[in-house]
Amino acid sequence: MRAPDTTVKATAPVIAFDKITLAFGAKTIISDLSLEIGRGEIVCVIGPSGCGKTTALRVAGGLIPPTKGTVRLLGEPMAGPRRDVAIVFQDYAKALLPWRTAAGNISLALEAAGVAQSERGDRIRDLLAKVGLAGHEDKYPTEMSGGMQQRIQIARCLAQDPAVLLMDEPFGALDAMTRQGLQDEMLAIVAETGATVFFVTHDLEEAVYLGDRVIGLLPHPGRIGIDQRIDLPRPRNQLETRETPEFLRLRRTLFDFIEKAEH
Amino acid sequence: MRLSRLGRLLASFAVAALLVWGWQLIADYKLVSPVFLPGPDRAWGALVKGFSTGDLGVKLLATVERMFWGWLIASLIGIALGAAIGTSPRLRAYLAPMLEFLRPLPASAMIPVAIAVLGLSNGMVLAVIAFGALWPVLLATIHGFSAVEPRLYEVGRALGLSRASVIWKIALPSASPDILAGMRLGLTVALILSVVCEMIAGRDGLGNWILLAARSFRAPDLYAGVILLGMLGYITAVALAVLEARLLVWRNRAR
Repeated sequence: MRAPDTTVKATAPVIAFDKITLAFGAKTIISDLSLEIGRGEIVCVIGPSGCGKTTALRVAGGLIPPTKGTVRLLGEPMAGPRRDVAIVFQDYAKALLPWRTAAGNISLALEAAGVAQSERGDRIRDLLAKVGLAGHEDKYPTEMSGGMQQRIQIARCLAQDPAVLLMDEPFGALDAMTRQGLQDEMLAIVAETGATVFFVTHDLEEAVYLGDRVIGLLPHPGRIGIDQRIDLPRPRNQLETRETPEFLRLRRTLFDFIEKAEH
Repeated sequence: MRLSRLGRLLASFAVAALLVWGWQLIADYKLVSPVFLPGPDRAWGALVKGFSTGDLGVKLLATVERMFWGWLIASLIGIALGAAIGTSPRLRAYLAPMLEFLRPLPASAMIPVAIAVLGLSNGMVLAVIAFGALWPVLLATIHGFSAVEPRLYEVGRALGLSRASVIWKIALPSASPDILAGMRLGLTVALILSVVCEMIAGRDGLGNWILLAARSFRAPDLYAGVILLGMLGYITAVALAVLEARLLVWRNRAR
């Protein structure tokens, strides 16, 4: 007799890639990728261009079905996008509705989830406060800086009450100061909500600073080349964490990996 | 040299006043026979007289009604069809060549066909106006719907929006600037076709008024009709521009 299913579910990873292969015609983008991400884990994915890191994120989000293999979310196979999996896109300017205000853009996620209109106002105010934009509800995206627009997109994702946050180079287009500020805000929000994070970036320091684990992908076709644990203590600090010998050692390891992967 | 808003407004009025004054001079010195060209004073007099006897008001209303309904029908059909074609690449591939053939066809060329099919009725006139005003709305709507940012459709999928919500909350607002531009063009076409139909099919309205005035050498009445048509076109264009500015507030705001 087999053990009841409940025990399996309790220990099941939040996201599991099970032998994922993705091909467009004759071109294989991802080959035989297996990866398990536990509850509350922040996994950063790096790799040279063409390694399929963004594609892997889109497969995890249910936007593209894999050619072979399955992605499981909390043990269930993914059939398509789900509301408890939120995606933060890099191009915030294209991902926000320009005809809706900050509040209206966040409201879109609440409308999709069928939240009653009477409850939306309070939820929107809470979410705006959480991303540090209290009082900006009536601004249109074109009236906001890049950092503010990306905060709106993050707030819209949080409105989904996600178990998983998929973030595709979310801070890549922002200036250094704004990026560091948002990194810390994101860590605080994730610590508070307990969401599991799949974070794609090309910035190695960002990967080490944010992650519990950094996955390095090799290109042509995309596959795992390195799976590095990051045991830096939390909460992390932009100055102190980045100056520790351990941080510098991890950065070196990943740097060497990318160097080799590109040749 | 940069002019303020008020300055530009004053300048445009000054130019218009200068033209009217020139017109008055030409009429006063009889450079053109008064049978064909009355001065603005006589044209204005005919306009006031036409309204006070009630005759011109009725004609104006008939033309406005015709233009409005034809334009409304064209807009509704154009938006519905345009949305269907614009969101479906397959429909676009099937229909685009035919639309390109029909589009440059002058709608006035359809009047004899419409008369043959529908007779000299108000329905015929509406059909012709709607047919002509349909094209700018339809083509602009197709363009608007096919140019929606693909990322926004992904956002819709990721949020789990229904298909109806995606069209209503993402595609339609995204296409709205194009649709409104098409509707503005459509309104001009509707006015032109209203007048042409009235002239050709003898329906009561400003077009017919102008034609009859010309045939009986009532030049002041003719110009009164022309002035009224110009004002009608101007007022409807301004009204639509105001509506557009209100609906597209987000476009005019910048950082």
